[in-house]
Amino acid sequence: MNKNEYYKKYSCYDKESPYHDVCAVDPAVVNLPVVQEIIDLFRANSLWPLTFGLACCAIEMMACGMARFDIARFGAEVFRASPRQSDVMIVAGTVNRKMAPALVRLYEQMPPPKWVIAMGNCAISGGPFNVQDNYNVIEGVDKLIPVDVYVPGCPPRPEGLLEGIFKLQQKLAGKRLWPVAELKE
Amino acid sequence: MEISADRDGNTFYLNMGPQHPSTHGVLRVILKMNGEYIQEAECVLGYIHRMHEKIGESMFFSQFYAYMSRMDYLSAMAYNHGYTGLIEKMAGIEPPLRAEYIRVITVELNRISSHLVWLGAYLLDLGAFTPIMYAFDDREMILDLLESITGSRLTYSYFRFGGVCKDIDEDFIRGTRAFIKKMRSRLKMYDTLVTKNVIFIGRVKDIGIISQDMARRYGATGPVLRGSGIEYDIRKNEPYSVYPEFDFDIPTGSTGDARDRYLVRVAEIEQSLRIIEQALDRLPDGPYRTEIPPFIELEPGDCYFPVESARGEFGIYLVSNGEKRPYRMKLRTPSFSNLSLFNELTKGYMIADAVSILGSLDLVIPEIDR
Amino acid sequence: MSHDALKQAIQTILPEAVKDSSYNETGHHLDITVSSESLVQLVEVLDQKGFYLVDVTAVDLIPEIEVVYHFALWQKLYRIIVRAYIPRNHPEIPTISHIYPGADWHERETFDFFGIKFLNHPELKRLLLPEDADFHPLLKKESLLEKVEAVRSGFRKGGCRITYGD
Repeated sequence: MNKNEYYKKYSCYDKESPYHDVCAVDPAVVNLPVVQEIIDLFRANSLWPLTFGLACCAIEMMACGMARFDIARFGAEVFRASPRQSDVMIVAGTVNRKMAPALVRLYEQMPPPKWVIAMGNCAISGGPFNVQDNYNVIEGVDKLIPVDVYVPGCPPRPEGLLEGIFKLQQKLAGKRLWPVAELKE
Repeated sequence: MEISADRDGNTFYLNMGPQHPSTHGVLRVILKMNGEYIQEAECVLGYIHRMHEKIGESMFFSQFYAYMSRMDYLSAMAYNHGYTGLIEKMAGIEPPLRAEYIRVITVELNRISSHLVWLGAYLLDLGAFTPIMYAFDDREMILDLLESITGSRLTYSYFRFGGVCKDIDEDFIRGTRAFIKKMRSRLKMYDTLVTKNVIFIGRVKDIGIISQDMARRYGATGPVLRGSGIEYDIRKNEPYSVYPEFDFDIPTGSTGDARDRYLVRVAEIEQSLRIIEQALDRLPDGPYRTEIPPFIELEPGDCYFPVESARGEFGIYLVSNGEKRPYRMKLRTPSFSNLSLFNELTKGYMIADAVSILGSLDLVIPEIDR
Repeated sequence: MSHDALKQAIQTILPEAVKDSSYNETGHHLDITVSSESLVQLVEVLDQKGFYLVDVTAVDLIPEIEVVYHFALWQKLYRIIVRAYIPRNHPEIPTISHIYPGADWHERETFDFFGIKFLNHPELKRLLLPEDADFHPLLKKESLLEKVEAVRSGFRKGGCRITYGD
C-alpha cells in the first residue's frame, strides 16, 4: 500500500489538504503498512467518541448510547469527556461563530489518528438556519475541520448514527463488518 | 454557610467550559472560587444563538412552525401549542373539539418524556448510572407512540392552525392505555431506587434554597417556582384549550431546595397520567382539522399568549402590521429567567453543590439563547 | 385589590395614559404608556403590589423604539403591559434592575439586539452575540418605513380577523 492510500484513511495526516493548518501532524516515524492494516481493524472496533452534543442531535446521540440502540455493541463503549482520550468527534448540533474557536481547539487537542462524524443537518450545511439573514451560524462544520462521515437528518434516527459508525469502520477496515439491515415485508 | 476569609493566593477562576459532560447543552460558567467555595458564578451565553427572532420576521406564519420545536426540543409539543394558540387567538380560528383533546394528550405525553430525560440526566450528573437507563427505556415507549402519529421522534411539528396534522387511531389509544398502566408501576420503582436513597438525599437536601421573594423578582416559573411553595401553573391559573375540563392537582414543595424540585417533577408525571386517562375516556368524535388557507394575514396589533411547558411559562409576544409575516416576534422562554437566579443562588456553596443546583433548575440551553 | 383599585392607584401617582385592554384579544388586562422619567416610579408601585417580571423587550418603530415590559400576578389572573417610547438615534432609558434583578439579563439582551443603553445598569455588555460584533441585528432597515405606519396606527385596536391572502 503506497502513501496515498495510507493518507486516504487519515485525513489528519494529509499535508496537501485545505485543513493542514488545523491538523498538521506527522505520522509515526516507524510504520509498516502491513502492520497498520491489522491495527486499523482493531481501531475500527473500538472507537471512543468525544461528547460534543450541542443541541437537539445530542439527545438522539444519548438515546443511541442507551439500552435500546446500544452503541456499546459496536465498540463505542464509553463517551469520553476529555479530548485527550478519544478517537472520534461526533459533532451533533449547530456550530456558532462563538463556538467555532472552541471546536477547533478541541479538534487540535485530540491525539491522532482522529476522525470526525458530522451528525445532523446543522453540522453538514447549517441546516434550517442557513437563511438569507444568517449572521451567526457556521454553514457546515467542514468549513473548519475535515469531516469523514456525514449523517443527514433533523435529527437523524439512532439507527442512522449507527450506520454512520459502520461507514467509518468500513473506511478503516476496508470492508463493512456488520450485515446490512433488510426491509421486512 | 460561611465563606472563609479571602487570604492571598486562594482565589482563582475556574471555567466550566462550553463542552462539559453534563448534557444540558453549551453553557459556560466562570466560577470565582476561594478554595472549594464559590464566591461568584457568571454565566456566559450565546454559544448556540441561532437567531430565531430574526428568522421569525422573514418567514410566513406557517413556515415558522419548524423552528418552534428546535428551540426546546424536549417539550416541543408545548411550544407548538403556544404558537398555534397565539395565531388562532389573533385570527379567530376555532379548532374542533377532537383536535383540542388530541393536542392535550400529546402535550402531556411529551411532558412526561421531558421529565424522564431530566431525571436521567440529573442523576447522571450526581453520579448514578442506572436510573438514566431505565428512564430512557420508558421514554422509548412514549416515542414509539408519538412516532406512529407524527412521524418524528424528537422535534415534532404536529399541530396546524385549526387542528392537528393527522388523526389518532385505535392502535394509539390502546398503546397509550397500556403505557399508563406500565408507567404507574415504574414510578413505584423510581421511588424505591432514587427517592429514598441516602446518598441522593445527602446530595440534594437543603441545596439551593430559593425563597419566594427571590423567585418573584427574577421571574422564575415552573417547577422551580412550585418547589418554593407557590401554586402557580398556567394550566390552572390562566386556562387555555380544554384544560378546565380536567381534574388534576398542582404539586408544590415546601422549602424550595433541590429535593423539593425533584419531588414536584416526579409528582407532575403522575398528574399528567391522570390527565391523559381522563382525555382518553372523553375523546369525542368528529373532524380533526378545519381547513385554513396556507397564507394568513393578521390585522395590525399585538398579542401575548402563554402556555405551560415542562420548564415553566413559555409565552410569545407577536406584533403584526397587517402583512403575511410577523413584524416582531418575541419568545419568552422559562429557562432564561430560571438561569438568571444562578449567580445569587450559588454564593457560598461548594462546586459539587453547584452542579447539583444547575441540574435541578432543568435547563435547556438552546431555549435560553434562542 | 381589584382592577379599578389598581388603576386608580396608578393614575393618582402618574397621570399617564392608562387604558383598559381586552384580555380576550390581546392577553393583557391593563395597558400603560409611560415616559422614560416616570418608569422607575411606576415599577416601584407594581413591585409593592406583588407583580412578577415576565419580560422586557423592544420593538423598532422607525423613528422611535418602543420598550415593552410585561408584568403578571400569581394570586389571580392579571397581566399588565407597560410601554415606553424613546428616540431611535439616541436610545436611552433608566434601568429597573435594582428593583427586579431579573431584568438584568433581559436588558442586556435588549441592548444586544437593539443598541438601547440602560442608564445605571451594573454591567451592560452583550449577552448573546460575540463580544466583538459591531451591529445590532434586530434594527429594521430604513426602507421599511411605510410598513411601520400600519403598526403605529393600528395599535391597541384589537379585533384581529383573518384575511385570505393568495
